[in-house]
Amino acid sequence: MAVTGGTETPTPAPSTPTDDAALRERFERDVLPLLPNLYAAALRMTRDPTDAEDLVQDTYLRAFRGFAGFTEGTNLKAWLYRILTNSFINTYRKKQRQPQTVEGPDDMDEWYLFDKLGGRNVELSAETEVLDRIPDEAVKGALESLPENFRLPVLLADVEGFSYKEIAEIMDTPIGTVMSRLHRGRKALQKALWDTAKERGLVDDR
Amino acid sequence: MIDKPGCIEALKQVELLLDGELEGELRINVEKHLSGCSPCMDRAEFRRHLKVMIAAKCTGDAPPAELLIRIRAIIEERDVAPS
Repeated sequence: MAVTGGTETPTPAPSTPTDDAALRERFERDVLPLLPNLYAAALRMTRDPTDAEDLVQDTYLRAFRGFAGFTEGTNLKAWLYRILTNSFINTYRKKQRQPQTVEGPDDMDEWYLFDKLGGRNVELSAETEVLDRIPDEAVKGALESLPENFRLPVLLADVEGFSYKEIAEIMDTPIGTVMSRLHRGRKALQKALWDTAKERGLVDDR
Repeated sequence: MIDKPGCIEALKQVELLLDGELEGELRINVEKHLSGCSPCMDRAEFRRHLKVMIAAKCTGDAPPAELLIRIRAIIEERDVAPS
């Protein structure tokens, strides 16, 4: 694959049908395969299949329109998630009934789940096995139960694997804010996972 | 026991370590502590497992076929009628 060097001129040449075709081809090759990721992320954000479809469609429309301005070789995935996140915040969030900013669990320990599951002097495998037995739907539900200001950083970090710096750029938030929301979001998620495991009888409440 | 100062310091850094956000000497020190302290290593391993489990279980929602059709239409429309 040929990657051209950074020799772009500030004024782009007028677009020709060949340029359009090349752009469309590159979009299909690079952006379309990310559809499953974007759709899953949109579901976690909107918590509604119809809204998720609309959000992803809107994201693709904006991405396609802006694709000529995207510099090949830079972080395409982060660029797309920034569009997705902006679309979500600007459009679909208005429909969400949940408060967007919640203080979150400050009094909780970040080892909450480990301590809840452990403390019986059993092998570590017993604790991790409980995690593995929680059904996919319940884990998705636990993540979706988090308030948005915690849910987005946890989704971007733990599910999508973005770095703190990338998340800060995607969410247009200072990196320190990302770190503190991520930390508190994860604690809230541990609590939600414990609750769902308990409801499903996967653990004894002690 | 995890109430030793070394353990408390190391455990505070585990989140950063697992996120790949710990560098240099800090990282070396935490890794050194974990490899010599099995209760802390258990905690770190649990957190690593938790992170992997969340990633594995929160994906895999298949996009509806209709959505792919709608997105392909976006890409093809531009060719017909550039805005």
